[in-house]
Amino acid sequence: MPAKQEMVVANVVVPLDFTYNYRVGPYIERYIKGLGEKKILGTRCSGDGSVVVPPRKICGRCNKAMDEYVEVGPEGTVENFTVGHVRLDKGLVEKADREYVIGLIKLDGATSLLPALIGGISPDGVRKGLRVRAVFKDPAEDSLGDLVHFEPAG
Amino acid sequence: MDKVAVVAQAQVMSGAIGIPRERMLYETVKSLYDELGITRDDIGTFVLNSNCFEAGRTIANVFEDTPVGAYMKDETHVDSDGLWAVAYAAMRVMSGNYDTALVVGNSCGASTFRPYLMMDYQLNPVYDRQLGLLNELSTAALQANAYLDRFDAGEEALAEIAARCLRNAANNPNAVRSNPGASADEVLASDRLYDPLRELMCYPFTDGACAVIVASEKRARELTDRPVWIRGMSSSVDSYYIGERDLATSRATKVAAGRAYDMAGISDPAGQIDVAEVGAKFAHQEPIICEALGLFPEGSAGKVAADGTAEIGGAMPVCPSGGGLGAYLFSAAGLVRVAECVRQLQGTAGDAQVADARTAVAHGQDGFCAQHDAVMVLSTEEG
Repeated sequence: MPAKQEMVVANVVVPLDFTYNYRVGPYIERYIKGLGEKKILGTRCSGDGSVVVPPRKICGRCNKAMDEYVEVGPEGTVENFTVGHVRLDKGLVEKADREYVIGLIKLDGATSLLPALIGGISPDGVRKGLRVRAVFKDPAEDSLGDLVHFEPAG
Repeated sequence: MDKVAVVAQAQVMSGAIGIPRERMLYETVKSLYDELGITRDDIGTFVLNSNCFEAGRTIANVFEDTPVGAYMKDETHVDSDGLWAVAYAAMRVMSGNYDTALVVGNSCGASTFRPYLMMDYQLNPVYDRQLGLLNELSTAALQANAYLDRFDAGEEALAEIAARCLRNAANNPNAVRSNPGASADEVLASDRLYDPLRELMCYPFTDGACAVIVASEKRARELTDRPVWIRGMSSSVDSYYIGERDLATSRATKVAAGRAYDMAGISDPAGQIDVAEVGAKFAHQEPIICEALGLFPEGSAGKVAADGTAEIGGAMPVCPSGGGLGAYLFSAAGLVRVAECVRQLQGTAGDAQVADARTAVAHGQDGFCAQHDAVMVLSTEEG
């Protein structure tokens, strides 16, 4: 037996290289189609009447179907926001090139808040209660990115 | 509810690349067996608690069975937070089929895999993950702002909470981040992430293992003269969508606590509970959870920070271990909270000991902004 055991390999790096294929489903498909027409769609619950954005099939609160599409916004109110100083890249924290604002927007006609970027305004100018309007990509690319951000309305 | 008790606990923690997972598990469980003078033959059922995604191995428990002694035993796995694993073990003992259950959790968030990336993979893949706006830190910041805004509190209160946790952690040999002289100013001077979150308001990445043994009343009395009775337990889950939740409060914790308190005969939580160990991953989650547990009035973070109520010597000590800001075992943190309550109630918490602690509440969470919450009431009083 050797007197001293030397460590020859301390760590191994094991990449998991695979891809998941998820069905987007008709609700997000229709939402994306709506963004291309500069419309923001939600669905209304047949039980408690709540209107959620993005649209989905089942209401969490009352477990009822939400089959009625409703156009909401494009204006809304900033209900909550945070100024980001970092970005997360695959779970690693990196300093952001510049500060940016993630808001929770209460779109007119919706009961839920939509997480979205707030642009067209200095981060230190953003306040709760600020009225904002959706900015859409033109021409549309048929992706979630067609809703670019929200900027101050009016 | 049939009487069931936690009879012993053990923990091994590291904030850096430590020892391999299997050895960590072996040493943790071996120390428990040795403390009680038992072997794996004395364990009726094994509940393993780990996260397959974190381990990078599907059905991660099959690799953990050997070091903990579960070979050819009744064995099962809990992938949620470790407090659910303790609840599950208690139910298996209460079923009458087993006298003893070993609950053992582990996680390698400091060395093997990044906790923030694990949280990214909890996001809705066809929407939130595509947009890249939400992550563990940005959602936590929105939750913190919801609380500060609702109750007109300042970020200084959050810094005071973080500083207390880091000071308490200095008394905990298992903490991986601590500072006996931590101050709010130091917390506020740490790196800004998403406002109002600073680096020292967030949980540190932690490698570790934690184990407890749950036993029936008869077996508990044979194994220890200090059984810690599980008097009540419950869990509840809120909406995944943070835009549909009231982030300033934790309704799921409140509902779970209500059921656990009913089982335990607790009608005045602040009066009847001597110490709390809550699964807060961020400074602001401590008041949100404690208020939902009925330990403090809603929106009282500033007042509690100022008057010392939550200190180890205060009227309602919270996380004398340093809580999640001292060490946070991703997916096993709630098990650690139970273990810390057991240390308190068995009188083995050393410099962190709360005097005359008889009844404790433990809390564990999963999901963004503590979407899913579990509550357990533990007590040396038999009820």
